[in-house]
Amino acid sequence: MSDGEQTEPESREDSDEQPEQDADQDAGADEDESDGAVFSNYGIASAVLGVLSVAAVVLAAVIWSAHRDATDERGYLTRVMQTAAGWTGVLINMNSGNIDASLQRLHDGTVGELNTDFDAAMQPYKQVVEKLQSKSAGRIDAVAIETVHHDLDTEPGVARPVVTTKLPPFASRLDSVMLIATSVSENAGAKPQTVHWNLRLDVSNVDGKLMISGLESIR
Amino acid sequence: MRNLWRLFAFDVLAPLAAIAALLAIGVVLGWPLWWVSVCSVLILLIVEGVGVNFWLLRRDSVTVGTDDDAPGLRLAVVLLCTAALTAAVLTGYTHWTRSDRDFTNDSRKVVQVATGMAEAMASFTPNSADNSIDRATAMVVPEHAASFKEEYNKSSAELAQHNVTAQAATLSAGVEALGPSAAVVAVVLRVTQTAPGQQPSRVAPALRVTLTKRGSDWLVAEVLPIR
Repeated sequence: MSDGEQTEPESREDSDEQPEQDADQDAGADEDESDGAVFSNYGIASAVLGVLSVAAVVLAAVIWSAHRDATDERGYLTRVMQTAAGWTGVLINMNSGNIDASLQRLHDGTVGELNTDFDAAMQPYKQVVEKLQSKSAGRIDAVAIETVHHDLDTEPGVARPVVTTKLPPFASRLDSVMLIATSVSENAGAKPQTVHWNLRLDVSNVDGKLMISGLESIR
Repeated sequence: MRNLWRLFAFDVLAPLAAIAALLAIGVVLGWPLWWVSVCSVLILLIVEGVGVNFWLLRRDSVTVGTDDDAPGLRLAVVLLCTAALTAAVLTGYTHWTRSDRDFTNDSRKVVQVATGMAEAMASFTPNSADNSIDRATAMVVPEHAASFKEEYNKSSAELAQHNVTAQAATLSAGVEALGPSAAVVAVVLRVTQTAPGQQPSRVAPALRVTLTKRGSDWLVAEVLPIR
């Protein structure tokens, strides 16, 4: 009978408190043991495997949480793109027939500076839209999270304006989405008029609700 | 007391951990049919073992965990449990951690290649045309390189005739779609064309660059204007 076998800190929960407890028990049980070994080889092997198992469980938890974060991030970015595409869908389908209702819907989807200066920001787009006839349809050609952005208008040697954060109040994060879209308006008797849009939208997360906080033409 | 924790560790916790590890592998793999069958067989074996073990506990008041005459069996139980847990961790690492990391790296790399390609393609300097085209063809999949070069030469012939210089820079770029071996990137360029004696003209074309993965490199399969 190998009494040393009993000291196996295999159990995860017990592993830190068990050795002392077992040592006490061993003191009594080992009295008739001739070799006096506290751990048998089996016990040591089991203990090592037990530690390995605990490490595996910890690693598994780390892997799982990292993967969940990555999945959540991708899900979030998908939602961001959907929000941007939905908002742009209203913008590019705007025409002289539905301009007021569309502007109201667009305004409701914005937050921050874009929301307060909405009329000024929309002025150039309004001008474009007013040229379109009421029979027009917009189509989104491409949507992507913008990962490369170069501001080519900054002259070398000229100090860049200090960029204060674009994050509107209460927003927890902001992502830029690039959208490429086309509006085609059919004029009676004339040839169809096409408007191309290269847009950059800033999408902010305000308490879990995604809102547009910036609109810009990429030119 | 000693028997109680050994019972808990070897007779209860070890089989439960092994079952959990097998189920975790299934979750990571997305339950393919082969794993559903392998996993059910293994779990059935474990459950049978546990059942026999507890039947022995009732009959002889001794289990695998508490039997002082069978340390080898105990070691085997721990070994199997550790093996299952390690397998679960390795599966999670290869299927989740590594693929997530690849996704992040790939999304950065494809944008880099696509913008480089778009810029090289849209740029043209009359005297050093070959330079730009060589830079671009190096990024194209080999089977399309020849036709691509031909197309470029055709479109640049006109520019060369009028001694026009075209300078392209990326304004904005982003990944439209990304899979393990294919990607689509949208790029908006600013192309400035300068002809001698004329005002420079500026356009902002939007391009869709399709890429495929060859080995560890991303190569361009197609560049098309969007719309």
